[in-house]
Amino acid sequence: MQTSVIGRIALFGLPALVVLLAPTPSGSAEPSERIIRIEASSFAYKPALIAVAQGDHITIELVATDVVHGLHVDGYDLSVTADPGQTQRLTFVADRQGTFRIRCSVPCGPLHPFMIGKLKVGTNWLLWRAVALALLAAMAGVVGFRQ
Amino acid sequence: MNPERTARVLVFALALALPLGVLLTRWAGIPRQGGEWIEIHGRMSDDGGWTPDEITVDVGEVLHLRLTSDDVVHGFAIGQSNFEAVDVMPGEVTQATVTLEQPGRYVFYCTRWCGVNHWRMRGTIDVRGETSEPDTAMSPLYQSLGIDLEAPHPADVAPPDDPPSSHRGANLGVPIPDRFLTAAYYRAHSPGETWHSLRAEAAAHQLTDEEVWDLVALVWASNATPSAIEEGGRLYASNCAACHGERGAGDGVMARALANGAAARLEDRDPSPANFTDAVQMLGATPALLQGKIIRGGMGTGMPNWGPILTDAETWALVAYLWRFQFGPANTGPDTAR
Ligand code: HEC
Ligand SMILES: [Cu+2]
Ligand SMILES: [Cu+2]
Repeated sequence: MQTSVIGRIALFGLPALVVLLAPTPSGSAEPSERIIRIEASSFAYKPALIAVAQGDHITIELVATDVVHGLHVDGYDLSVTADPGQTQRLTFVADRQGTFRIRCSVPCGPLHPFMIGKLKVGTNWLLWRAVALALLAAMAGVVGFRQ
Repeated sequence: MNPERTARVLVFALALALPLGVLLTRWAGIPRQGGEWIEIHGRMSDDGGWTPDEITVDVGEVLHLRLTSDDVVHGFAIGQSNFEAVDVMPGEVTQATVTLEQPGRYVFYCTRWCGVNHWRMRGTIDVRGETSEPDTAMSPLYQSLGIDLEAPHPADVAPPDDPPSSHRGANLGVPIPDRFLTAAYYRAHSPGETWHSLRAEAAAHQLTDEEVWDLVALVWASNATPSAIEEGGRLYASNCAACHGERGAGDGVMARALANGAAARLEDRDPSPANFTDAVQMLGATPALLQGKIIRGGMGTGMPNWGPILTDAETWALVAYLWRFQFGPANTGPDTAR
């Protein structure tokens, strides 16, 4: 009996601790306010890749530094257009997980079709932890019931 | 000369003259028949700007324009006129119709930033006809005041530690003599000069130096209506912020390109756009000087000449807006009827 309690703690308690405490690759698990400044010039975005966590409140500040550029986020179907000298903001909640293409939505010259970037909306670790914990608890329950 | 040869030369000359004549009439800017569409192509100014860039019409003649861009987004507007700016997009044609009722030379220009030389993207419309009214174009104020736009103009008084506040100034309960409260006074004096004059007023003798600055802010506020500030802000965002910065610090997105541009290669010329948050320079500047610079431009420094484009009221609205960078955004007086 003793051993099986310890065994059970080892079997379910340890993974539960791991699930709870393991560091998340994207930093904090709480949805956060994020302001991301993107410079657009000569057919490129700087940065071209933005990674956020699911549920984050995002504000993209689009700064055009040569001609008028736009920014369209596929999947979210959001657009913003900025003239040089007039920073424009796009605010949204990153509620959809996945990798989405960012494209320039304003014809800005010959290489305009190649003006692309990426929005990576990472896993919602809070949600997955909760799911994992619930599963572990369910398994522990089943095992306990059987014995 | 035998007749056969003469005939041959004649036929040849005729064949040549016909197409040449057609071309010449186009190039010479001979006024087009009313109703004909003029197609204007926009390209970044480094690639040629507007084509054509000279148009001639008669006074009152309806001008039909078909506008398109060969590269990026441009815009089209006509300076000193009430023609509403339109966008000019690649692969699209924007049609516009305009009738200019006063003879003279108008400047049309690009309204969407298309590179560091965006403001050089200009063309002219010559409107021919009898002048019905005498020429009312006055010389700008800086000329009649004899202001040298090139001279450095640092304030000869230490700027205040905190931005002056017209609100605090009004609460001091110190009356400001009427002669300070006219547009003519404001336009011809710098905040620094005004500070010295107010400092010397008997009514101000127990005020601290900072409090006298608050009175200066009050004088400036009495010359800034909220509607002028709003118009100035709109003009500043679309025409000036790309160089002077959205917060006026001289650090706009084009500043880097200007530093590498032609003006930077001129001897002892600093190519950076003026910093309107610099208290020493701004508090030593008169509104007339700022307006003069806006109208005439820098003549090679990279500061455009806005005279052919902005109306007198628009340039004063811009000047009123520039003072925000010293006196704060709330420094306005009541919006009296304009
Ligand atoms: C293409 C860049 C550019 C744009 C656009 C531009 N400026 Fe400037 N401006 C400059 C530069 C560079 C200087 C400094 C050199 C000089 O004074 O000529 C300057 C100087 C000035 C000064 C002189 C300040 C002083 O203390 O002497 C004023 C006033 C000014 N600009 C106002 C404006 C306004 C208002 C606009 C918009 C309607 C504008 N500028 C648009 C580049 C620009
Ligand atoms: Cu683009
Ligand atoms: Cu343009």
